[in-house]
Amino acid sequence: MSELQVYDSAVPLRPVISQIQAIYQNRGLLRLLVARDLTVRYKRSVIGVWWSLLNPLFTTAVMYYVFNTVFKSKLPGGAPFLPYLLSGVLLMTFFNQALTMGADAVATGAGILTKVYVRPEIFAASAAISSAINFMIGLAPLTIVLAIYRKTPTLHFPLTLLVIGCMLLFTTGLSLLLAIAYINFDDSRSLIQIFLMALQYMTPVFYPISVLGPHTRDVIQLNPLESFLQIFRHEFGNGGVSTLFNWEMMFGSSILAFLIGFYVFMKRWPKLMAKL
Amino acid sequence: MSISNEKIVEVTDVTLAYRRTRHRVSSLKQTAIDTIKRRMAYEQFFALNGVSFDIARGETVSVIGRNGAGKSTLLKVVARVLPPTTGRVVVRGHVAPMIELGAGFNPELTGAENIVMYGTLLGRTPKEMRGRIEAIADWAGLSEHLDIPIRAYSSGMTARLAFATATDVTPDLLLIDEILSVGDEDFKDKSRARTEEMMNSGCAVLLVSHDLETVRKMSSRAIYLEHGAPKAFGAPDEVIETYLSDVHH
Repeated sequence: MSELQVYDSAVPLRPVISQIQAIYQNRGLLRLLVARDLTVRYKRSVIGVWWSLLNPLFTTAVMYYVFNTVFKSKLPGGAPFLPYLLSGVLLMTFFNQALTMGADAVATGAGILTKVYVRPEIFAASAAISSAINFMIGLAPLTIVLAIYRKTPTLHFPLTLLVIGCMLLFTTGLSLLLAIAYINFDDSRSLIQIFLMALQYMTPVFYPISVLGPHTRDVIQLNPLESFLQIFRHEFGNGGVSTLFNWEMMFGSSILAFLIGFYVFMKRWPKLMAKL
Repeated sequence: MSISNEKIVEVTDVTLAYRRTRHRVSSLKQTAIDTIKRRMAYEQFFALNGVSFDIARGETVSVIGRNGAGKSTLLKVVARVLPPTTGRVVVRGHVAPMIELGAGFNPELTGAENIVMYGTLLGRTPKEMRGRIEAIADWAGLSEHLDIPIRAYSSGMTARLAFATATDVTPDLLLIDEILSVGDEDFKDKSRARTEEMMNSGCAVLLVSHDLETVRKMSSRAIYLEHGAPKAFGAPDEVIETYLSDVHH
């Protein structure tokens, strides 16, 4: 038998530290949950792994047609629009998927969470990790598109891993907060869709930030995803610039979202359980 | 090791209090309106109030009481799912909860994948579970259906798989919310026998049941809960007596 586990309710859980420990101790479960997310989506469908790319690629195709052909919009300096757009869509898909899947997993995983002791944070983390894997698969078509425009990923493309790491922290933290809303309020699911749409427009996915007036630009820069996207484009061969502000914003917002999400969740969870 | 270490469960003066709204509000819109109109009224509600008991290795303690008396809540507090508001809970060793079996099943995963997933959710390791797939499926009589998604299973097959997976342990503490007999007649007998075998295997058992005969037969001590508070605690016969005289009035 394994070493004696002792549960003592008088030993207080330390916010964040205890939660990270729980995730680490249950890494076997975490791996299973990630594998489940991926298998359920891939193995069971004929087109397999391409299924996860269908959504971002199709979105990109539609937006490309609308903005390139219908509106005839051009990027400054004649930069190619397609890789610019695809990188934006891929990153937004990563964010949306990790956030909503994570919140869903915690809110619907409640069936088991109210019967067996499992830290719900593991469910949020698994959704973020499987979204990250989908995102990395999406880097393959992006590389192809870049190659079509005679661009190769830059030598500093491994820095993309930092973007992925920050996005993991950012979305895990936020999805825990969203899960609280999901459990408390039935109508929060439809409200979040409206919010995500607004956020999509507030992120320069299909327009260059230079088309904005100075005031609008200041507002847009408060959106952390703008910084994530600038850095991702810069590090993965799309050119552009990533400023020190962008890096500070990306690290700052992701660490903050992670800490706040974990802290608030730990404090609220026992009260939420009463509702489930 | 001191003698107190043989106590698998120690529950000391546990209270579980909720603040709940007088009317159940479940939308953001309603909350906003109520907050503005200052209509949010909260009341304190005690799901458990001053509950104390312990369970030694090899002992079965039963909890009886009317619906809503806090029996299932007590199981959840011992299962570590709900932290007590005040008081203390200590549990030593591996806990096997037999509460709403199969709650962690995913219909899209195969029988084998679900065995591993469910067992891991119940606190074992994926590696350990992979080695148990055959034995569990065999016991449940489902060896030939291991590779199909369980959405194709009948409800009886799902219940058998859940039961076989959940009981494939030698726990230190067994939590039972009603002794289940699942599946067809044969399997009912088989599952009941296995539950009783587990209960007699030397672990500590916390049993919630409405079946007073089982309580009388199986337990060494019983607790009668009313509105979250222990109304009687001790020898099963006397506790059942008190409960029955309350019910009949």
